[in-house]
Amino acid sequence: MRIVICGVGALGSTTALFCRNLDATLRLVDFDRVESKNLQAQWFVKQSVGKNKAQALRLQLQNFYGVKAEAMGVRLSEDNTRELLDGCDLALDCFDNIASRQLLSTAARDLELPLVHGALSGDGTFGLVRWDERFSADAEDVEGQATCEGGEHLPIIGAMGATLARAVQDHVRAGDRHDYMVSLSGVTRTS
Amino acid sequence: MAVLNITYNGLSADYDMDIDYAASDADIRRIAVEVVRSGGVRGLHIANLADNAFRNYVIDHMDSPTGERRIYLRPKVPFGAEV
Repeated sequence: MRIVICGVGALGSTTALFCRNLDATLRLVDFDRVESKNLQAQWFVKQSVGKNKAQALRLQLQNFYGVKAEAMGVRLSEDNTRELLDGCDLALDCFDNIASRQLLSTAARDLELPLVHGALSGDGTFGLVRWDERFSADAEDVEGQATCEGGEHLPIIGAMGATLARAVQDHVRAGDRHDYMVSLSGVTRTS
Repeated sequence: MAVLNITYNGLSADYDMDIDYAASDADIRRIAVEVVRSGGVRGLHIANLADNAFRNYVIDHMDSPTGERRIYLRPKVPFGAEV
């Protein structure tokens, strides 16, 4: 089985960490580079600063856990979506913007590829894990709205990453497609 | 009829009384403000909650794992649900 994680910033890198023991190959997609400020809330180490996030995460998984992964250090676009999803059995949406989420959702529906979305509110108090059949995009308050900058929201990022990894694990092992709501008061299964 | 779940300021709780599943979004936001102010949502009592506290919130209609009809009033993440 091959699982593609689209976007490996705060949520994607943390989810990858919790998916490291699955009987699956992880494919990591992100065009961005690790900045020193990312160490506050994303699963990157000091030695990764300056590297492409997908490549850095691949190296960390290899060096720390002996887990092999594939890195695609590119931005998802209409031109390369099918190539990036090719050969995958499951996709995770950990993007931080609506345009990429919609692009991924459209492609996954066309390919009949299972897709699960994970996202956090901008104030870091709330998150959702939701499968694509129940997904549609909320409007951003402002275009390119930043979420979870700095280290303040690290605990809920951890809770979200663990919850998304749990949803993936249940799907890999039993084909389940459970949705979850994560708040500061706990995790609730919503479907 | 449906259960209304409200998430605000990192806390999430159910309102005990059923509300109309087909209630408009404006009605749901108005009801939510009233019940949070009045203490009708256990663990989520804010007496001075602003009238527009839920103006930018999203309303999802979904069935629970047990088949219960539920309405979720929640912050943007940003993504939502298809009814």
